Amino acid sequence: MTVVAAYNIKGGVGKTSVSVNLAWLAAQGGARVLLWDLDPQGAATYLLRIKPKVKGGGRRLVHGKSDPAALLKGTDHERLDLLPADFSYRNMDLALDETKRPTRRLARVIDKLAGDYDHVFLDCPPAISLASESIFEAADVLLVPLIPSPLSLRTYEQLRRFVAAEVPDPPMILAFFSMIDGRRRLHREVVEQLSADNGVLRTSIPSASDVERMAVHRRPLAAFAAHGTAGRAYAQLWEELRERIAPAQ
Amino acid sequence: MTLPATQLLLPADVPAAAVADALAAELAIVTQRAHAIDRTFWDTFDGRLRDAGLTLSAGAGRLVLADGAASAEEASAALPPRATRLFAQDLPEGPLRERLAPVVQMRALTPVARVRSRHLPINVLDEIGKIVVRLRVEEPAAQIGKTTEPLPARLHVTGVLGYDRDFERVRAQLVELLGLVPARGPVQDDAVRAAGGRPGGTSSKLRLALGADERADAAAVAIARRLLEVVEANLPGTLADVDSEFLHDLRVAVRRSRALQRELAGVFPPEPLRVFRSGFRELQAITGPTRDLDVQLLEFDELAAGLPGTEAADVQPLRRLLEEHLRIARRVMVAELGSDATRALLHNWAQVLDGLVESDESGRPDAARPVTDVAGERIWRVYRHMVKMGSRIGAGSPAEALHDLRKKGKELRYLLEFFASLYPEEVVKPMVGSLKALQDVLGRFQDREIQADLLRSLGDEVAALEGGAPALMAMGVLVQQLLADQAVARAQFTERFTVFAAKEQRKIVKKTFS
Repeated sequence: MTVVAAYNIKGGVGKTSVSVNLAWLAAQGGARVLLWDLDPQGAATYLLRIKPKVKGGGRRLVHGKSDPAALLKGTDHERLDLLPADFSYRNMDLALDETKRPTRRLARVIDKLAGDYDHVFLDCPPAISLASESIFEAADVLLVPLIPSPLSLRTYEQLRRFVAAEVPDPPMILAFFSMIDGRRRLHREVVEQLSADNGVLRTSIPSASDVERMAVHRRPLAAFAAHGTAGRAYAQLWEELRERIAPAQ
Repeated sequence: MTLPATQLLLPADVPAAAVADALAAELAIVTQRAHAIDRTFWDTFDGRLRDAGLTLSAGAGRLVLADGAASAEEASAALPPRATRLFAQDLPEGPLRERLAPVVQMRALTPVARVRSRHLPINVLDEIGKIVVRLRVEEPAAQIGKTTEPLPARLHVTGVLGYDRDFERVRAQLVELLGLVPARGPVQDDAVRAAGGRPGGTSSKLRLALGADERADAAAVAIARRLLEVVEANLPGTLADVDSEFLHDLRVAVRRSRALQRELAGVFPPEPLRVFRSGFRELQAITGPTRDLDVQLLEFDELAAGLPGTEAADVQPLRRLLEEHLRIARRVMVAELGSDATRALLHNWAQVLDGLVESDESGRPDAARPVTDVAGERIWRVYRHMVKMGSRIGAGSPAEALHDLRKKGKELRYLLEFFASLYPEEVVKPMVGSLKALQDVLGRFQDREIQADLLRSLGDEVAALEGGAPALMAMGVLVQQLLADQAVARAQFTERFTVFAAKEQRKIVKKTFS
C-alpha cells in the first residue's frame, strides 16, 4: 500500500483537485483506492457527493476509539472509497496533542485499513501544524502542488528542509506545477528553471475552467472531461507519479 | 470489505424494461445503457469454487473471480490464450492466483457452463444524487453447443459501502413491490442444470445413509454402487489426464471397494467374488506407478525448496526425468485402464450388485443379517487387531510392521466411513480423529520410504544426464531429508498410537461395536 499526501502549506493551489483526480485514475486502473479528506472544508467530500460527516468526529478517530472501516463511504466510482471530512477536523491539532506520540496517530488509523487498499490519498488542509507532522509520518509520498511564483518556491524549499530534518522516516517529496498559465512569462520562466530539479515532476497541470467545473458536476475531472487539456495532464501526472513510486511499493 | 448483496429472481412474465419502470415509480433511479456479456464459467470437477461461494468467469479475455452471492469482483487476471484447462500456477502471479490457489489446490479448472447475458444497470440515488444502491437486471441464456436456452432473469442488488440502510430499504421495497424472491445459487447453476449437469460438480465423497435394520447385502450394494459411481465418474478425467486428483479419487474408490469385498465377504457369493477381488487388485496395481510419480512431482517443489544453496536448481534434471517416467507410466496405465477388460470388469461388477439381494443366499452367511451386526463385528475385530499389532511395535521393529499396521488402519478407516451413519457421532468422530492422526504418521513413514526408494532407483539415469553430477549430489541430500522426515514420523508413532489404543477408547469401541 502506498500513502500519497497532497500537501502544501498554502491553500487554493490544487490539492483537492489532484487528490480526487489521481485517486479516480488509480481506481480506474484497477487499484483499490481510499481517499481521506482531512480538510475540514470538505471539498473532496463535496466533489464525491458525500455528506461531510464522520460518526463520533475526528477526535475519537485519531484517539483510536472509532473503527475507521465503519466510517468509510463508497463513492459513485468503482474501487474508490472515501473517509469523509468532518468539521471537527478543524480541531485535529488539539485532538492529536492529547495523545501519546501524536505524530504517529494518522498512520495508525491508515494501518488499520492497509489490507483493503493499494493506494491511500490524503487531501490535506493548508497549514503546518501537528496534524501536518502526523501526515508527514504517515505518507510514503508528499505530493506538493506548486504555483509557479518565487514565494511559493521558497515555501517548498522550507518544507523540504523541515521534512529532512524533523521527520524520522521521511517520505519522498515530489512537487508538480499547478494552475500554470502558459501565457504568463513568469510562469514559463519558473517552470523552466525548476523542471530539472529531482523533486519536481515533468508534468504540469494547466489552469483550466474544466478543473473549476468539477464542483458543478461533482465528479472527478477525468470522468467528464478526460480529453481536455487538464484531464490529459492529470492522466500524465498519474503515470509519472506511478513510475516514481513503483519501486517504493 | 464485503458489500451487502442479494440476487432476486424476476417473474418470467416481467420484461427488464418493465422492472425499470416499476422501480422508477418508487425510487430515484438512473438507468444506464444495457449491454451484453458472454461468459464461460470455470470450476474444478468437484466444484471447489462453488463450495467456497465463488464464481470464476472468463469474458473478453479476462478471468474474473467473484463472490457468488454478490457477484462482486474479488480479483481478475488475463485469461491465458487458448486455455481449455487451467491450474492455479498457469495464471499470472497476482491477487487472482493468490486467491484461487488455496481453494483449487492441485485441481484443474475447466469450463462448466457458457452464458450470454443482457445486463441493464440501474443506480438508486439519494437526495443529493449520490449512488446508494446498485441494481442490475440480468437476462441470461445458456449456450449449450450451438443452441441457446433462456434462463430465469434475475435482479442483482448490491449495496454501497457505508450505505447499508439504503440497501435494506431498497431490498425490502423490491420484495414488497415486485414480489421478488431470492435466487437459489448463482446464474452458472441454472446454466449447468440447463445443460443436464449437476451444480457443484461431481463429488467423490461417500455420503451414505444406511438403515440400522437393513440387510447387510443391501447395505453392501448401496456402498459398492456409490464406489462404482465414483470410479466411473473419475475414469474419463484419469484417461484424459485432466489433473492428478481424478486418478487419486479413482484409486481411493477402488481401494475402498476392495476393503468392502474383503470385510463383507460373507454377503457376496464366493466364486464371482474371487474373480472381482482379483480384478480390482489388478486395477489398483496398474494405477500404482503413475500415482507414485504424481505424488513425487506434486511434492517436488516443496522438497526442492528445502535444499540448501544452489542444490534446489541442481535438482531440476531429476524433475525432467520424473516427468518422462510419468509420461511412460501414464501411457501404460491409460492403455490398460481404457481396455475392454476394465470396462467388462466394472460392467460385470455392476450386474452382480444389481442382482445380489435377490440371489441365492447359500454361501452368503451374512447376507440377511442386520447390517449393524455385521459392521459392528468387523469394526471391533479390525480395531482389536490393530491394537494388538501396534502394541507389538517397538524401537527395533522392522518397517514392515508399521506398513502392515497402516494397511489395517486403512481398512478400519473405510469401515468407519461406510457405516458411520449407523453409530453415534460422538463415538465415531473421536475414533476417526485418533485413527487419522495415527494414519498420518504411518502414511508419512511409508511415503517417505517409497519416495526415497524411487529416487535411489533413478540414480544411474540421472547420472547419465547433462548436469547429472550436481543433480545426483542434490538427490543425495533429498534422500537424506526424506529419511530424516521418515525418522521423525517413526518417533511420533508411539504417542499417536497411545491415544488410539487408550483404555478408555477401547472400552467405548467395545461397547459400541462388539
